[in-house]
Amino acid sequence: MSPPKIDYKRELESASKGMILIHDPRLLIKLIVRSLVQKVRIQHAGMILYDPDKDSYVLSISRGTIGERIPEDLIRFNKTNPLIKLFIQKEYKYIFENRNAIVAEDINKLLWKESVISNGNGTKQLLHSVSAQLPKLNAVACVPAYYQHMLLAILLIGEKQDGSRFGQEELDFFSALASDVAMAIRNAQLFEYLKREAERNRNLFIQTTIALGSAIEAKDTYTHGHTERVTKYALAIGRQMEASQAYTFPYKFFENLYIAGLLHDIGKIGVPETILSKQDKLTPEEYEIMKSHTTRGAEILSSLSGFEEVINGVKYHHERYDGRGYPEGLKGEDVPMIAAIIAVADTFDAMTTDRPYRKGMSKDKAILEIKDCINKQFNRKPVDALIDLFHRDEL
Amino acid sequence: MLLNEVAESVGVCMPKLLIVDDESDIREFARKFFLKRKIDVFVASGGRQALEIISSEKPDLILLDVRMEEMNGIEVLRELHKNGNACAKVIMVSGVEDEETIKEANALGVIGYIHKPFILEELEKLVFNQLNR
Repeated sequence: MSPPKIDYKRELESASKGMILIHDPRLLIKLIVRSLVQKVRIQHAGMILYDPDKDSYVLSISRGTIGERIPEDLIRFNKTNPLIKLFIQKEYKYIFENRNAIVAEDINKLLWKESVISNGNGTKQLLHSVSAQLPKLNAVACVPAYYQHMLLAILLIGEKQDGSRFGQEELDFFSALASDVAMAIRNAQLFEYLKREAERNRNLFIQTTIALGSAIEAKDTYTHGHTERVTKYALAIGRQMEASQAYTFPYKFFENLYIAGLLHDIGKIGVPETILSKQDKLTPEEYEIMKSHTTRGAEILSSLSGFEEVINGVKYHHERYDGRGYPEGLKGEDVPMIAAIIAVADTFDAMTTDRPYRKGMSKDKAILEIKDCINKQFNRKPVDALIDLFHRDEL
Repeated sequence: MLLNEVAESVGVCMPKLLIVDDESDIREFARKFFLKRKIDVFVASGGRQALEIISSEKPDLILLDVRMEEMNGIEVLRELHKNGNACAKVIMVSGVEDEETIKEANALGVIGYIHKPFILEELEKLVFNQLNR
């Protein structure tokens, strides 16, 4: 019984569809290689993949009968390997471009080709080496896969189960499959690269924010470590509110809270040091300037897109629940939650740390005072969270 | 076995190679690969079996996987050392290993170390250099 004829075009279409559905190229290649073995009825099919980290190639996927298939990720090839050399060096391209593949049984014929002979011993030697290499890899044909002239993979094709030769139609099919694979690999690599870049940018951004935050501390010597502690308290309060389901936070809230915590006093950069470090009571004029650090901070950050929530935290962290705060006198739930949380964290830290002119109070005393200010200075929800944290000794 | 008998009948003693790996695909691939190169190949799927074959067959060279479920490569080395079998020539085969393992393997007298994924020709060279010596 002869095997059913394969509709190569249809197989190719289904492989391409797989490429769209499957984002992990390794999985896609496994599927392709497996279906090759089954449908084309070959004893072995494998894929050598480029590893950009090590700038070499690894036989990564192999399917077929026991003894024919090759253990995955066991064998590595560098660029001096004859097979790799043949496929990456332009001067050898003419050897395989007719058939889109190098086929073991062609090699003897190739050795007598005029163009090969005229190319000198190097080419002959290379073809001999390739010929010796193929059986070690249980392959009778190899198909290169490129993306923009970059060799990304080599498809290894073993002998057919019925021992017949490969026709050009089949080789073209393998070649088309191989370029689908190259495309899938390239997409996955690009995606990985972009993800890493985005991560790197994020880290850079966080570092910049921390640097900015410490710039304020350098100026306002009273508050050493204040920014860091406020950020820590604010995040803990937020997490506690989330855990006790006191509040439902929008997307990316905690990232914004983190940044707003670090930058909540950034506007103090615009306040003269004489006012910041004054130990006596501020004059009404000086107090007005001091208060302006909220709006100055918002202004500094106003040019950054996507910073609306952070700006809310910076601008309104001196608003009060009863509407007697600044800069706008927002009232009750109109005070954005991000600012209401920072307000509690900010006050708690200010009360519990030493200042040159007074000693900080104990945490339990501070908690009691803050509790007394529920619905006056503070929103109840973050205060409740603070109290919970205090009772669990997590402050 | 058959190859061995043929070889012995014509008075050639084929070198003996023992491959120790708990992955059957690797054992099978390596067995076929070296068999074709006129080497008498033995395989073991774990440390205990390896020790048995070492004492009965006295292989000229051992390819020893480091990471194995039952009795790993380092434990095999220690056992060989303890039994005064330290002269068995061993090449360790491993994935990424820590410094400690490599140090201990060296102290226990391995003659080579090859990392997966390896270049096939390098393994070939390493094995043939040892067997022809």
